Amino acid sequence: MKMPGKIKRNYVINFIGLLILFAALLLVFENGVFGSRTNYFKGIATTACYTIIMVTSLNLLVGIMGEFSLGHAGFMSVGAYASAVVSNMLAEKGIPDFLLFVLVLLIGGIAAAITGVLVGIPTLKLRGDYLAIVTVAFAEIIRVAFTNFEITGGGRTMSGIAKLSDFYWVFWVMVICVTVMYMFIRSRFGRTVKAIREDYIAASASGVNVTFYKVMTFTVSAFFAGIAGAIYAHYMTAMIPTSFNFMYSAEFLTEVIIGGTGSMTGSIIGAAFLSALPEAMRAFSRYRMLGYSVVLVLIMIFRPGGIFGTWEFSLGRILDKITEKAKGKEA
Amino acid sequence: MSIFIQSIINGLNQGAIYALIALGYTMVYGILRMINFAHGDFIMVGAYTMFYTAPLMISYGMPAWMAVFLAIIACTVVGVLVERIAYKPVRNSGSMSALITALAMSLFLENLAMVLFGGNPKTVVKIFDLPMIEILGAKIQLKYLLTLGIGLAIMVALTLFVKMTKLGKAMRAVPQDRAAATIVGINVNKIITITFAIGSGLAAVAAMMYCSTYPRCTTDMGSMMGIKAFIAAVLGGIGIIPGAMLGGLIVGLIEIFVKIYIAPGWYEAITYGILIVVLLIKPSGILGKSVGEKV
Amino acid sequence: MKKKAFCMTLAFAMTVSMVGSTAVFAAEEDNVIKVGAVCAMTGGSAVYGEGAQNAIDMAVEEINDSDSAYKIEIVNGGKVADDAKDAKQAVNAYNSLMAEEPEAVVGSFFSAVTLPMAELAAEDDMLLLATGATNYKVTEIGPTIFRNCFIDPYQGKMAAQFANEQGYKTAAVIYAKDDDYSNGLKDAFVESAEELGIEVAYVGECTTTDTDFTAQATQAVGSGADFVFYPCFLDTVPLLVQQVRDAGFEGAIMGGDGWDGSDTTGLEDYFENCYFTNHYSSEDTAPAVQEFVSKYTEKYGAESLNACAALYYDAMYMLVQAAENGGGSDTESLVKGMTEMKFSGVAGDIYLDEKGDAIKPVVVNTYEDGSIKWLETLAPEA
Repeated sequence: MKMPGKIKRNYVINFIGLLILFAALLLVFENGVFGSRTNYFKGIATTACYTIIMVTSLNLLVGIMGEFSLGHAGFMSVGAYASAVVSNMLAEKGIPDFLLFVLVLLIGGIAAAITGVLVGIPTLKLRGDYLAIVTVAFAEIIRVAFTNFEITGGGRTMSGIAKLSDFYWVFWVMVICVTVMYMFIRSRFGRTVKAIREDYIAASASGVNVTFYKVMTFTVSAFFAGIAGAIYAHYMTAMIPTSFNFMYSAEFLTEVIIGGTGSMTGSIIGAAFLSALPEAMRAFSRYRMLGYSVVLVLIMIFRPGGIFGTWEFSLGRILDKITEKAKGKEA
Repeated sequence: MSIFIQSIINGLNQGAIYALIALGYTMVYGILRMINFAHGDFIMVGAYTMFYTAPLMISYGMPAWMAVFLAIIACTVVGVLVERIAYKPVRNSGSMSALITALAMSLFLENLAMVLFGGNPKTVVKIFDLPMIEILGAKIQLKYLLTLGIGLAIMVALTLFVKMTKLGKAMRAVPQDRAAATIVGINVNKIITITFAIGSGLAAVAAMMYCSTYPRCTTDMGSMMGIKAFIAAVLGGIGIIPGAMLGGLIVGLIEIFVKIYIAPGWYEAITYGILIVVLLIKPSGILGKSVGEKV
Repeated sequence: MKKKAFCMTLAFAMTVSMVGSTAVFAAEEDNVIKVGAVCAMTGGSAVYGEGAQNAIDMAVEEINDSDSAYKIEIVNGGKVADDAKDAKQAVNAYNSLMAEEPEAVVGSFFSAVTLPMAELAAEDDMLLLATGATNYKVTEIGPTIFRNCFIDPYQGKMAAQFANEQGYKTAAVIYAKDDDYSNGLKDAFVESAEELGIEVAYVGECTTTDTDFTAQATQAVGSGADFVFYPCFLDTVPLLVQQVRDAGFEGAIMGGDGWDGSDTTGLEDYFENCYFTNHYSSEDTAPAVQEFVSKYTEKYGAESLNACAALYYDAMYMLVQAAENGGGSDTESLVKGMTEMKFSGVAGDIYLDEKGDAIKPVVVNTYEDGSIKWLETLAPEA
C-alpha cells in the first residue's frame, strides 16, 4: 500500500480534481450563472476559504496533537493586524498587487508564528482543560493589546486596508495551505506528534523531545492562522479588535469538532458548512442563530465524533474503487 | 487613602459576585470534569426571572428578594433540562463533544432569550433596600456585605454538604471512577442530575446578587460574566469549592486595583496574565492539589 | 452505510444552502425605489435592529399609502438584513441584498460594520445611507456614501459647549476604549473642553461589555469634577449613572445619542441632572416628531424607540425626497438627488454637505422623573 508511486499518483489525481473544481467555479462566477447573486456567493466562498485555513490549522492542534485551543482567533488577529500595518506602509509604493498580497500573507503568517512560539513555550507543559483556558487568556490579552496600540487603531476600527483578497487568489492560497498541512501531518514530524498524542510518556521515554515537537506544531498552526488573518484583513478592509473575541475562537473549534477531529476533509467540509449555515438561514431573520445552535446540538448528539470522524476524502481512492468495480463487472 | 479603602470594598463586592458564579462552575466541573459554558446563561435565566417576578412579589406585598425562590425553580428546571436533553447523550463521547455541546447550548439559550424577551436591556427593580454606611471616608453599601456573606455561607454549606452527607460522598466518588461508583450502588445519572440542579440553583442566587448590584439584564450577560467567573474558578483551583470563592475575590480585587492604580485599559489583560502565571507555577490553581499522573 | 447516507445528506444540505433560494424578480416599476436595509438583528445590539425594523415598516407603510410620487420596496422580503454587529456578517448581508438589485442600501448602525460595507458600496457605485456610523471616515470612502447621523466630533464638541454654557469648570470623561463612537466623542470633547477652558481632570477607560464602573466612578469623584461625560450606548448607561451617583457624585452626567432609549425604571432620582445630545426630542412640538413618537409607541411600545429607530425612519423619507430631487428611482438619480440635499424629518433639519455628512441641529435633553425632557436645541454652525 505504502508505495511512493501510488502516493504521488494520488496527489496528481487530487490536484487535477482541484483544477476541475477551480475551473468550474471560474466558469460559474465569470459567466454569471448565479446572476446578481454572484458577488454574494463569491463573498461566502472567500469567507469559507479563510475559515477552512483557520479550521485545518486548528485541527493540527486538536486532531494531531490532541490538545484543544480556544484562542485561535488571537493568532488570526495577530496575522490580520501585522499584515494590515505592513500593507498600509507599502500601499501606493508601486508594488504589484499580487506580490504585495503574497508578501502580506507571509508577514501575517510569520508574525503569528512568532506569537505562537512565545505563547507555546511557557504554556505547552499544561494539558487538557488548563491549556484551553490559557489559550483563551492569551487570545484575550492579544485582543486587549490591539485595543490599546495606536498603530492598530487604538480600539477604533482600522479601515482603509487595501482590498487584495480576490477569491481566485484566496482559493489557491487555501489549496496550498491545506496541502502543506496535509503533508506536514503525513511527514515523519507529524507521525511523531501523533505518537506524543497517543502516549507522551512512552514517546519521551523513546527519546522524543516532547516540548520541541509540541511547540513546533503550535507554531505551524499559528503560522497558518496568521495567513488566514491576513486574508481576512485584506478582504474586510476594516476591522476592530472586538471581532476576534472568545466566541470567534469557539466558532473555529466548533467547526473542527463538527467536521471530525483529525480529518482534514472534515475540517474543510465543517468550515464550509458552518460558515454557510447562518447565511442559508438568513430568511429566518431573528431565529437564525437559534436554528444554528440547534443544528450544532443535534450533530453532537447524533454524530459525537463529527460528521466525518477521521475519514479522509481522496479522489484517487474513489477512482480506484470505480475502476475496481468496473473490472469486477468485466470479469 | 479613602480611594484605597473604597477600592477594596468595590473589589470585594465585584469579587463576591464572580465567586458566586464560580461556585456553580466548580460544582459541575468537580463532578463531571466538564466546562459548562452554559452556566453563565443559567444566570441570565435567573436574572430575567427576577426581572419579571420581583414586581409581582412587591405587588403582593412581599419583599422583592422573595422572587429568588421562583428564580431558583426556573434555573433548576432549565439546568436539569439542558443536562438531560443535551449533555447526557454526549456524556460518553469525550470531552471535546461535551465542550461543543455546552457552547452550543449557551448560544441556544442566549438566542432563545432574544426571541422571547427582545433585545432591549431590562432594568430590574431594587431588590434590597439597604442603607449605605460610611467608614473612613469610604462608602459601604450594606448589600455589598450581604453579597459577601451569602457567598461565604454558600461556600461553607456546599463544603459541608460534599464532605459530610452521603449524597456528597457519592458526588465525590463519581469523578474518581464512574464505573466503580456504579458498582457500589451509586446511581450516577441521578448524582449528575442533582449536581446540575444544585449548580443551576446557585446560578439563581448569583443572579439575585448580580441584579442587586448591577440591576440590568441582557441576553448576553451570561457569556460576559461567565468567562470571567470561570477564570476565577480555575485560578482558585477548579473543582475545589473554597478555591472558587478565593479565585472570585482575587479576580474582583485585581480588576478594580488595576483600573485605578496601574493601567485602566489593560485590566482584562492583567487579570488573564496573572491567571497564566499562576497556572504555570501551580498548574492546578492556588488551592488545587497536584495529582500525579498514572503511568 | 448509515454514515455515508448521513454524509450525503449533509453534503446535500450544504450544497442547497450554498446555492440558496433563487430570488424572485418582481416586474420593475419606475416609481418604486428598491431599498436594502442592514442592522444588527441578533446578538448584544439587537435592540437597535428591533427599532430599525419597526421604524422601516412604519415609514414604508406610510409612504406607500400616501400619494407620494415614489414608493418604497424593502428587498429581502421586507426584512432588515442582519449584520450581528460583525464585519464578516455585514459584508455577507450587503452582498445578499445586492443580489436583489436594490437602488439604495440603508445602514448600518455601527462604524465597525459600516466601514467594510462602504468600501463595497463605493466599488459598486451603490448609494449607501449610513444611519449610525459616526466615524468620520465612513463618508470619505466614496461619493455615493451619505449619512443622516452626526459625526463623532460634532456631538463631542456640542457636549463641551453645553458644559461651558452651564458653567461647569472641571470635567471627567469615562469612555469605552474598544468602540469607535465612544473614542470619537471623547477625543472631540476633550479637545473642545480644553479650548473652552474646562479642565479635564480625569479620563477613564472601560469597555463596551463592562458592567462595573465603581473604579472609574471613585476616581472621577476623587478628581473633583463637577461634570461627567459618558459617551457610550444605552445598555450600560443606567449602570454607570447609578454607580457614579452611589460614589457620591452630584454634578451633571452627560452623554451622546447612544443614551436615547436608556431604561430609567427605578432610577428616576439618579437621572436628575443628566443630559444627552440627540437628533430629536420626544417632547418636540414639531408635528413630524409628535406623529412619529405617538404612532411608534402605539404600535410597538416605547421599549425599542431610540435614536436608531428615528434615523432609519428618516432614511426612508430621505430616499423618497432624493428620488423627487433627482427625478428617478434609479441609483444614479438618487445619488444626484441626495447630494447636498436639504431634508426635514424626525431627526431634525438636515443639510447633507459635499462630503455626504449631515449638518443638523443638536437637541439637548434632560430627565425629569425618569422621562426625557427637552432642554434646548443648538443650531449647527454655518
